[in-house]
Amino acid sequence: MYEIKSQITETAEFEKIRRVDGFRNITAEFPAYLTDESKFSCQPFDFLFFPKSEAELSAVMSEMARRGVKATIAGARTGLVGGCVPNQGALVSLENLDRVLALYYDGPSAEWRLKAQCAVSLRAIAAQLAAKSIPDIERCADGLTLLEMDRFRQDPDSYFYPPDPTEMSASLGGTVATNASGARTFRYGPTRDWVRGIRVMLANGELLDLPRGKYFASPSGEFTVTDSAGRDYKVKIPTYRSPRTKNTAGFFAAAHMDLVDLFIGSEGAFGVITEITVGLLKRTPKISVVQFLASDDQAIDLVRALRTDSRIRLDFLEMYSGTAIDLLRERQRRDAKSVGTPTIPETARSALFFELDFDPAAKEVAMEALDAAVRAGGASLAESWAAYENRELDRLKNFRHILPETINAIIAERKKRHPGLHKLGTDLAVPNERLADMWAVYRDALAGAGLEWAAFGHIGNNHVHINIMPRDMADLQKALGLYQMFAEKAVAFGGSVSAEHGVGKLKAKFLKTMFSPAEIEEMRAVKRALDPAMLLNPGNIFEE
Amino acid sequence: MPMKLVVCVKQVPEITNVRVNPDTGTLIREGVASILNPFCEYALDHAVKLKAADPEIEIIAVSMGPPQAVSALLRCLELGADRAVLVSDRKFAGADTWATALTLAAVIRRAVPDADLILVGKQAIDGDTAQVGPEIAEILGMAQIMYGVEMSLTSSRKRIRVKREVEFGYEVLEARLPALVSASKGETLRRMPSLADVLSARRKELRAVTAADLDLSESELGLAGSYTQVVKVFPPSPKEGGRKIEGLEPAAAANEIAAFLKSEGYVG
Repeated sequence: MYEIKSQITETAEFEKIRRVDGFRNITAEFPAYLTDESKFSCQPFDFLFFPKSEAELSAVMSEMARRGVKATIAGARTGLVGGCVPNQGALVSLENLDRVLALYYDGPSAEWRLKAQCAVSLRAIAAQLAAKSIPDIERCADGLTLLEMDRFRQDPDSYFYPPDPTEMSASLGGTVATNASGARTFRYGPTRDWVRGIRVMLANGELLDLPRGKYFASPSGEFTVTDSAGRDYKVKIPTYRSPRTKNTAGFFAAAHMDLVDLFIGSEGAFGVITEITVGLLKRTPKISVVQFLASDDQAIDLVRALRTDSRIRLDFLEMYSGTAIDLLRERQRRDAKSVGTPTIPETARSALFFELDFDPAAKEVAMEALDAAVRAGGASLAESWAAYENRELDRLKNFRHILPETINAIIAERKKRHPGLHKLGTDLAVPNERLADMWAVYRDALAGAGLEWAAFGHIGNNHVHINIMPRDMADLQKALGLYQMFAEKAVAFGGSVSAEHGVGKLKAKFLKTMFSPAEIEEMRAVKRALDPAMLLNPGNIFEE
Repeated sequence: MPMKLVVCVKQVPEITNVRVNPDTGTLIREGVASILNPFCEYALDHAVKLKAADPEIEIIAVSMGPPQAVSALLRCLELGADRAVLVSDRKFAGADTWATALTLAAVIRRAVPDADLILVGKQAIDGDTAQVGPEIAEILGMAQIMYGVEMSLTSSRKRIRVKREVEFGYEVLEARLPALVSASKGETLRRMPSLADVLSARRKELRAVTAADLDLSESELGLAGSYTQVVKVFPPSPKEGGRKIEGLEPAAAANEIAAFLKSEGYVG
């Protein structure tokens, strides 16, 4: 089916919805809403709304549409590209749409599923699934929902929601709108792969119910949405194809694509996601390993080897460049406690961080393939750190998390002398077969420019974050030039300029590096089809 | 003859996660992970350091506990113990510190009769008694040094030299071997095994010992052999805020405090 009708929801009385009028009042009473995790600065805007239900949200949207006021939608404001920082009009905070609605077993797919409103945080989902206790459901009086909850509790296995963006305070809706990914995307894919259905409110205040697997693009690449007044909104899927990498740049497009996928990762361009149903996965015991290596090149070779052996199933595969290891070593010298691990081996000049299945109680543990791959790469499993108990896993997590923190501290110190200074962190991904090429570009250009840098992150997805730490403004200019060159190379290799952070307002200019003017116009056409007055999230993706 | 070091270890609940059932006042153990008692890990750390200086040394980890305590022993094997002994039997259930020490002493006498040095953690983070180590030393008639933070063998390997924590600093003591030493945290930064260590630990010897293997009568084991019983477990009452004297000149504040101490009878 490629035709779908949007529905009117019951609407609330607009005047009764909690709101703050006027930029001066918003600034005084709710300063946190002026920016998000990107620290990007807003432009003055006139309203801040806190709808508590779909009915209230619909009333806000309809009224704003009637007045022609553009609206920016905010979840938990954890994004890194300024997506929910308003540049005009209204800010609609969804934070009160925060109930878990149901947990049920889907027979046909043999899968437990969780249905929640958009503002439920990833942290709440993780904690409630781990404890097998969901207060929102336990308080509900619906017999069938309670029965399913009981069944879930009695299931001897434990379940989790696989997408793991680092920021656990992110809202589920926000992660769907941005198709967020994390370390475990290496094995489990990005958020998109776990979304089983969404409910979306369009700019006109009407709702679409979109289970996955029901609405597909027509053979000519079209969808038709018909609203309650009988008006048709015809959507033509862009003709470009999304890169074969992790990607959050541009709208998803594919032949015969599911309409759900158009909304996932669209950064709120077409509607407000109010409810999401996600699939859950059985939890199995894991072991995390930091494998020390003699050089970055050895690490890149080992990544390729680990990926090609089908006997090795890694949940994530991350990298610490030699320069990153040096930063941690230096921090360890100053403050060993904050690092919390044993001393980094003297010989370590790079490292990979990965996780794989491991049953600590098993008599036989088969890791011959991994051992062989590491040996063939000229390294040894004896030069590693391994952890499988919770508190030990936390030590390795900390070893990963203090790295960006260390870099930020260095930049903050330098900013005292050069206030305009900031760090530059790339978010580029390339296809598997271009990993070594891309790494060579990074390595040679950074060495040639004499810049200070460290690389870490999702090397398994060919998506390593190069963090450049300029020492002064001249360094910063050099770094900005390199970033543009890296982005162009990544695109030439068939990759993405924004693998996981999204485009928002901060990276809108990079879209032009990746897409031709005609392709960007195709995106704009989709936006115009579903949001003719261009009311939703102004300034995101398309520069104004 | 290579020296033999016995490290006695205990599996404990990961204390940071422990909650108390408000109705019964008992610890909620469901869903709480079990770990190797950190002080036992420090004791093992000293054993591994001694072995690094003298590779001939054999380290034997011993634990008394339920069958799942095997995971604490596996961690010891990962961190450098050469072999392990799990002392497990329903008959040991309910043992207090004395019955535990008596059982562990019997195990050491039987499984490692020629032990040169016994290392223990200063206390377990669940019971916090700090009694089992000294009791083992008494039962086996050994010298004991508590709260060690640095240890080395003398060149003759006949004595152990221990820097130990005392109330106002440190003191260095020596004891003739065989001896028992308990370990405090000191500057220890916990080790982390390599993946190779984790894999090879699963190939090391891990022996099980039951009550039937020991030269002890049933009346000496478990609850029957215990002189003490836990009557009740309850969370400590929360500390009160105390009284703060603020906004006064130092001399006036001192007068106020002195008056308070006098009125409460703390000073004459």
